[in-house]
Amino acid sequence: MVRILKPRRSQPIARRAARVLAWILATSVMDAAWADVDKGADSFDSNCAECHSVAKTLKNKKGPSLFGVVGRTAASVPGFAYSDAMRAAGFAWTPDKLDAYIAAPKKLVPDGKMKFDGLDDAAERADLIDFLRQQH
Amino acid sequence: MLGLLLLIGAGSAQALPSFARQTGEECAACHVGGIGPQLTPHGQKFKIGGYLDGDSPDNWLLPVAVQGIVTSTHTDKGVPDGAAEGFKDNNNTVFQEGSLFLAGRYYGNVGGFVQETYSGVDHHWAWDNVDLRYARTLKLGGKDTIVGVSLNNSPTTQDPFNTLPAWNFPYVSSDLTPGYLGEPLLAGGLEQVVAGLTAYGYFDDWLYAELGTYHDLGGGFLRNVGLYREDRINLSGTAPYARLNIGHEFNHQMASVGLVAMNANVLSDPSSSDKDKYRDVGVDASYQFLGTRKHIFSLNSRYLHESQKLRATFAGSGADRSRHHLNEYNLNGSYYYLNTWGATVGLFGTSGARDATLYAPGDIEGSRTGKPDSRGVIYQVDWTPWGKEGSWMEPLANLRLALQYTMYDKFNGSSSNYDGAGRDASDNNTLMAFAWFAF
Repeated sequence: MVRILKPRRSQPIARRAARVLAWILATSVMDAAWADVDKGADSFDSNCAECHSVAKTLKNKKGPSLFGVVGRTAASVPGFAYSDAMRAAGFAWTPDKLDAYIAAPKKLVPDGKMKFDGLDDAAERADLIDFLRQQH
Repeated sequence: MLGLLLLIGAGSAQALPSFARQTGEECAACHVGGIGPQLTPHGQKFKIGGYLDGDSPDNWLLPVAVQGIVTSTHTDKGVPDGAAEGFKDNNNTVFQEGSLFLAGRYYGNVGGFVQETYSGVDHHWAWDNVDLRYARTLKLGGKDTIVGVSLNNSPTTQDPFNTLPAWNFPYVSSDLTPGYLGEPLLAGGLEQVVAGLTAYGYFDDWLYAELGTYHDLGGGFLRNVGLYREDRINLSGTAPYARLNIGHEFNHQMASVGLVAMNANVLSDPSSSDKDKYRDVGVDASYQFLGTRKHIFSLNSRYLHESQKLRATFAGSGADRSRHHLNEYNLNGSYYYLNTWGATVGLFGTSGARDATLYAPGDIEGSRTGKPDSRGVIYQVDWTPWGKEGSWMEPLANLRLALQYTMYDKFNGSSSNYDGAGRDASDNNTLMAFAWFAF
């Protein structure tokens, strides 16, 4: 008996989008599982806390408050005097943007004010960003 | 008789809420242990940068701050006729000093640190530390380089590296204990009685170089700022000063080594053309482990050598010979937990050549042996409850409560009967409790 194979139907756009979304969510869950919030807090204390606060009061120090920074539009904390370059950046602080900025601030915003050479360790950046995600 | 008797002094406390208001940062961001003056690398850069950083909305006042220190002092053996005029032989509690500061950014690239202090021992106001700066950041070979000038009134007051005399441990000492003989001129001999103009550069956060000169201020000026006629050190010409420091930050640690030098000629007898010549050279090194700021360790050290040609003092029969020298060291290590609980151990010592006239016998503060040698160890434990983010009244208030014990192994040349009147070095061992607050 000859088995007749049915031709595969192309997937609707909605289903494709759902699969992509599921992959992103799964990746995020995996990222969250791999990243270590406690290590991120330590990294924040070691690298960031002199100049940045995560207090809910949106306290600005030498650098702007990082409370709620993930997802926030760049240069949008009230009362902080941003550089022209940061004001012109216009992007939102997605985890990817934060990762790029923390790795090399002057590469992402060449004329920005932040005096920080960058954090080379990708795993430490992931921990740090995961810690920042919790600050909202 | 310069160099004969230099009291240890009241130490050099510094940690100012006016800086915290300006930067929006807690005291602990710049100071090891949550209160000054021991600087973190962040604090060192703030000072080198001219006290300019920050534009916090909390900075609603002029850069004004207030500081007070209350001490309670017990020496193993009291000082006959009082530890100072108006005080008991022993067990004295006093509001030792109160200071007003104008400290922070004044205008544009000009900032400073100006301190006026009331002594509760002398009952007297006088100017204290002054460090006015202009600083800016340039690109040199593609690297950030801070360049600046400092107008200050004490050699090493402008230094940011925690090792040189103006800002080394102990940061608070009792004014009501006997002082020992013979410390190098660079270790406080010109404190507040000269004007210095120095230019400096700080390249790429690791190389610091500074050159400048110090000048006599004149008796009239010193009286106008609250000092006494006898405080004047009559400098002849200018006293050149040089400083070099190389530092490296790695894995939330910092290490540095440095050199310092100063040449000064002093007209001890204005009626004579003879001068006393002092040549100071020193090496220093420091290390800090900062980590997450939960556990902070630091080590600070320096060694100074001063060669002296005391022709004027010798000609005036104030010394048995003109050629002398002094060696001085200071080594201290501290540990702080959460920038709140701290313990510090410090070793100190001075030694020099024998001279029975220059270092003459005398009750309490003289030398039976004619030698200026003193050495000892200082232990301190302290509690600094505020000065961190979220602390009470932050950034408007800070406080340290401390207990300090100073043990002398040798005092003015000897361990026993050092003054020729039966007093032992250990009789000057001092237990001091102090409260240091700032607003």
